[in-house]
Amino acid sequence: MADSTNIGSLQIRNVSKLFGAFRAVNDISLDIRNGEFLTLLGPSGSGKTTLLMMIAGFLDISEGDIALDGASISDVPAEKRNFGMVFQGYALFPHMSVRDNIGYALSVRKRPQEEIRSRVDEMLELVQLQDFADRKPGQLSGGQQQRVALARALCFSPPVLLLDEPLGALDKKLRVEVQEQLKDIHRRVGTTFIYVTHDQEEALSMSDRIVIMRDGAIEQVGTPNELYERPNNEFTASFLGKSNFIRQDGKLFALRPEKIDLRAGTGHADARMSGTIRSITYFGSMKRIIVETAESVEIEVDIDVWRNSETLAEGDAVDLLWTDAAAVELQVG
Amino acid sequence: MQSFTRHFHPGWLIIAPLLVLVVALYLGPILNILWLSVTDPEPGFGNYAKLGESDALLRIVWTTVRICIITTLFSVTLGYSIAYAMVHCHQRQKSYMLTLLLVSFWISILVRTFSWLMLLGRRGLVNVTLEDIGLIAEPIAFMRNELGVLIGMVHYMIPYAVLPLLVSMQSLDTRVMDASRNLGASGAQTFWRIYLPLTMPGLVASTLLVFILSLGFYVTPAVLGGGKVLMVAEYISVQLLVTLKWGTAAMLAALMLFGVLAMLWVMSRFMKLSTVFGGTTR
Amino acid sequence: MHDKQFMKEMLQDSAHAYKEGRMDRRTFLALCGASGVALTAVMAGDAEAAADHVVMWNWGGQSEECHGSAIGDAFTAKTGKGLKFDTSGPLEGKIKEMVDSGNVTADVADADLFNAVSLGPTGHLEPIDYSVVSKDKTLPGYALEHGVSVILYGYAFVYDTEAYGDNPPENWADFFDTEKFPGMRSLYKWANGSLEAALMADGVAGDALYPLDMDRALAKIKSIKDNSLYWGSGSAAHSMVVNGEVSMGMIWQNRGRNIENDTEGRYKLVNNQALAMPGAYIVPKGNPAGAAVMDFIATAQDVPAQLALLDCLGMTPSNPAAFGQIPEDQQDYAITSAKNIDKIVYNDPEWWGNNGGDAVNAFLEAIS
Repeated sequence: MADSTNIGSLQIRNVSKLFGAFRAVNDISLDIRNGEFLTLLGPSGSGKTTLLMMIAGFLDISEGDIALDGASISDVPAEKRNFGMVFQGYALFPHMSVRDNIGYALSVRKRPQEEIRSRVDEMLELVQLQDFADRKPGQLSGGQQQRVALARALCFSPPVLLLDEPLGALDKKLRVEVQEQLKDIHRRVGTTFIYVTHDQEEALSMSDRIVIMRDGAIEQVGTPNELYERPNNEFTASFLGKSNFIRQDGKLFALRPEKIDLRAGTGHADARMSGTIRSITYFGSMKRIIVETAESVEIEVDIDVWRNSETLAEGDAVDLLWTDAAAVELQVG
Repeated sequence: MQSFTRHFHPGWLIIAPLLVLVVALYLGPILNILWLSVTDPEPGFGNYAKLGESDALLRIVWTTVRICIITTLFSVTLGYSIAYAMVHCHQRQKSYMLTLLLVSFWISILVRTFSWLMLLGRRGLVNVTLEDIGLIAEPIAFMRNELGVLIGMVHYMIPYAVLPLLVSMQSLDTRVMDASRNLGASGAQTFWRIYLPLTMPGLVASTLLVFILSLGFYVTPAVLGGGKVLMVAEYISVQLLVTLKWGTAAMLAALMLFGVLAMLWVMSRFMKLSTVFGGTTR
Repeated sequence: MHDKQFMKEMLQDSAHAYKEGRMDRRTFLALCGASGVALTAVMAGDAEAAADHVVMWNWGGQSEECHGSAIGDAFTAKTGKGLKFDTSGPLEGKIKEMVDSGNVTADVADADLFNAVSLGPTGHLEPIDYSVVSKDKTLPGYALEHGVSVILYGYAFVYDTEAYGDNPPENWADFFDTEKFPGMRSLYKWANGSLEAALMADGVAGDALYPLDMDRALAKIKSIKDNSLYWGSGSAAHSMVVNGEVSMGMIWQNRGRNIENDTEGRYKLVNNQALAMPGAYIVPKGNPAGAAVMDFIATAQDVPAQLALLDCLGMTPSNPAAFGQIPEDQQDYAITSAKNIDKIVYNDPEWWGNNGGDAVNAFLEAIS
């Protein structure tokens, strides 16, 4: 199935999109490697969908250039780009059966019936909808529709698959399940996936690399691990997981709540700070404890329940401890 | 009493008098017409038999059907283009277009009919201009013939064709068309395979509306046809008001009623009519 | 500018045609299934009749004003009763419907004399009371049991002097001769007058027209079918001529003067062989004002009313006593003027009353 391993790299060079005077995407440059699962992550209005639509060809590029495997595609119309796309809300063809939906791309390319049939069968198997081939989209559940959309977009073996918040309409439990399937399908087809979401958990669990976007520009690019462990700015640190921000000696540090240790009483030798417990929230596997320091700064601490045999209560005085590596210095600016 | 309320929601009792009234007011006249068609001037199916005996009646019916089909074809095709343009242009232009459409919708049919005469008549603006610039030697016979009737009727019917299509097109999810393009379909392929099928309910509604309304046309054929294009509605009116052959009139009215019902029945074989009249596809 | 004049005419006629328009819509509804209610609503009209006035059922427009000034005022002065109008147009079918429904709201209908022949025997009309109305104040044969002719109008024709100025057409034979007089023609759509004109064109003498030889008449009509248009209302006849759509047009003679004026004399009226039509007053059975309506009809027969109708509507007097008093400037246009009376032929209401329905249908079938 991995029939597109050598193609599917995208080069985005100084791309901007202007709506009037407003820069929805502002001077973005990015290299997307073939076969990777790249997520554009950001809050709404960050320009991630606009960027995706420019890649797809639905929006013109105002400035800059986009190239596929080195060849510019900026002037290639959407229908000639051969990129698969899974739309928000799926945009399935309601009047066609699942089979016809999936085979549409081959059918408009006037491929032989036999070829379409066998390819659609392959795709139905890939997304495990063999028994639903003759149904209409309206007769399927949300998760099934999502899989039809995926199969439809992959059926013509596009070098790049674009996914615009494809799980947005699913409930939380189903989302986790579909994430697994999506990841699995990505592994099997080897196509470059460009995935747009505003859900940081989704991004962390699925992506090879994540692009954090804000106000039309890239904040940081990296693997999930890199971004989580070594965010280089306040936005990344707070958007991707939770962080406490500490200023020391004119420098700004990000400190993950789970990397702080907490001891009852004060005066511990390597204590970094001390304070008073304001609240304790129980989450099953861990407790979230808010500590107010002497400087009236609130520090959030996540403690594994199994490690914490001590009985802590609101109002207790505590010391906070962490290693040097736990505090990540951020660029100030 | 309990079993009664189990089967009938008490709300029915409240609307029952009105319901009975509406049914009576609708069915009464229809039954009256059907009754008249088999009793006037004498009991039996003599009026219907005339259809077989009289070439003239058949010719009038055929003229009517032919004109209505052509009118529907043009009105709906033009209406489709107009609705498409309205849905896909900017909001401001769309408001202008809608205003223009509704203005022509509101202008009396008589005024519109006479305007066509002034524009396309033998000494109308168009013919005079063409003659003045030397393009034609003799005036073109746009009016006072079947062509004139068609021009007038198509013009009158276009707003009726546009409105159901507009509703249908506006409710479409445009991402579906993006999806089609994304999958490699050309504009034409997207239109024929996606856009047209998805607007089909609107198209059918528009076709039915225009065709059925056209069947009742009277003023336009009478004026623009120069008296030589005789349609059923005018003929019925003459039988009612001038020649007092009410049986013939009732027979033709019943014929058109059954014709329309038969058409709806045939349509219902191919698609759910509820989707045409505003229901959902699911 | 004659366009302006035409617009005025057209708008006046629109009022009554609009009523027809409304009617059509409802007739259409009948086809779709909501018919009869609306139909009776229209046919009932909107006038209320009571004993202190009579209701005249006419076609509205100018006639409302003219009937009021020419007859209504004198009638009120004589009897103290008022005159009201229902302007929805007393077509035969509407009169029948009104009487059949038992809701008679009109006292006198401005109709054709042949309506009296077809509706009288079926019990839809009151007989005319000839102790009040005079048989002598109309032409012989035009005072019938159920209706009396009060005015005459005529089917005449106008021709384009620019096309035929040197050798003008003089009679119906010329009118139907499209070789000698090339160009388009217009005729009345509801057969009346058209059939008689066709027969005269084919050589039948004016006093030997009835009973009409339908086959012969229709054959003549069909012979100019490709060169002819048909009008259904006075305004349509007017506009076909004024807009230059035809070189010769059959018209109601009372419109002749307007057409000559509107075309600045380019089209000229020919009254030779004009067919005199007896316009008649008929009384729907069970009319609300009862016998009082006979006074009204008698008033309309008086010479002053006859001359006032000629002046106001162009309708020609049918009372022989008025013929001699037709003013000089109306001599050319009034068909019973000294100038025209010997050239005209007379319609037979008996034949039309008994055969009109079939004749209209046969005619429609021939021209469509």
